[in-house]
Amino acid sequence: MNRRLSTVSASLLTVLACGTLLRAVPPNQNAQTKTTAAKKAAPPKAPEAPAVSTATISVNGVTDIDPTKAFGSKTAPVVVEIYSDFQCPACKQLFLNTTQKVMDNYVNTGKIYLVHRDFPLPMHAYSRVAASYSRAAAHIGKCEAVEMVLFQNQEKWETNGDVKGIVAGVLSPAEMKKVQAIVDAKTLEPMIEKDKQLGLTLPVTQTPTSVFHTKGQNYPYAGTLSYDVLKEFLDQLIAQK
Amino acid sequence: MLQSSPFNYRRIILWIGRLVLGAIFVYAGFAKLLMPNTHLWPMFFLKFSVSTNLTMFQQQVESYKMLSPAAAGLLAHTLPFVEIVVGLMLVVGWGLRIWASVVTLIMVGFLSVVTRAYLLHMDINCGCFGTPEKLTGMTVVRDASFSALAVLMTCFAFIEARKPHPWNAATPEHSTGPHANQTVSS
Repeated sequence: MNRRLSTVSASLLTVLACGTLLRAVPPNQNAQTKTTAAKKAAPPKAPEAPAVSTATISVNGVTDIDPTKAFGSKTAPVVVEIYSDFQCPACKQLFLNTTQKVMDNYVNTGKIYLVHRDFPLPMHAYSRVAASYSRAAAHIGKCEAVEMVLFQNQEKWETNGDVKGIVAGVLSPAEMKKVQAIVDAKTLEPMIEKDKQLGLTLPVTQTPTSVFHTKGQNYPYAGTLSYDVLKEFLDQLIAQK
Repeated sequence: MLQSSPFNYRRIILWIGRLVLGAIFVYAGFAKLLMPNTHLWPMFFLKFSVSTNLTMFQQQVESYKMLSPAAAGLLAHTLPFVEIVVGLMLVVGWGLRIWASVVTLIMVGFLSVVTRAYLLHMDINCGCFGTPEKLTGMTVVRDASFSALAVLMTCFAFIEARKPHPWNAATPEHSTGPHANQTVSS
């Protein structure tokens, strides 16, 4: 009986001692472990992104407009939204052949307020990256230059994904640094996502899709528009009473 | 008493071919003109909608990389109207041999173009019915089925046209009525 009791007591004490030893990890070692883990997990510190405004405006009933991606007079009778994807060939055609002429003849003369909406399609691997760089460039006042170079060199960057290299070609080193910082900070991603969600509610089923807003009515048109046909349409739309 | 046309499998296939292919062609033509942009009123909206849709169809034709941009433009702006006319003529049934032959040529052309694109693994839209429709193996199968029906319909139209119509070739053993016993004097 005494032997048994002593054996049990010894076992219990041994278990208790082991448990105590296992739980009692020195605080310094814990802190060091956490710090090391934290140091390993933390990404390299990104350069500070310049302060950018994510405020949106409304024009003629069209809401959530990023003013840096919109052009023209806010009192224009017609508001045109263009949902496009930088990696879409039809969007490239529209931008290079039609939108530039519309900018010269209608936007700059106060007849149209043009809004660029990003609608990156899931099947295009780099379109969202391109949208990020374009949006960041817009917030430093370089929207048109970057959009032009992206569309003009679409075949190049869509194969190798080198959007950054293409954009750097039209920006100064200081401007590129700012743009890269904004892209890395992902500050403007919610604005791209907002454009996408607005398109999905329309619904936008293909790019490019243009939406013409006039007198409280919305007219979405899917597909490429030739300038000659669009000109005739816009003139009649503007002349509507 | 006039006899009705004989009811045989050739005529059944002719009827099916006329109705099915005729309806499909008419729908395809209208779809290319009016889809996906369907704003019809006022008139300049309709013009703009049709122009936009045809421009999109032109892009789909160009994506096959078989025609120059000018040729693709000409084809894109004429094919929908041709499809509507041919489809209506098939449904009506007037000049069946001619229109069935035209439909067969068009379907065989579509089949060869679509098959080529499929075998080259081209990631393009079919462009068959206006709205974006990815070109897949089922597109090839569908076009092959319609082409087979068109070929059969055309062949049977020519075969049936050779046979004298019961109303035209009334032979004595088949004639009935008050003049059945009269013979034609030489």
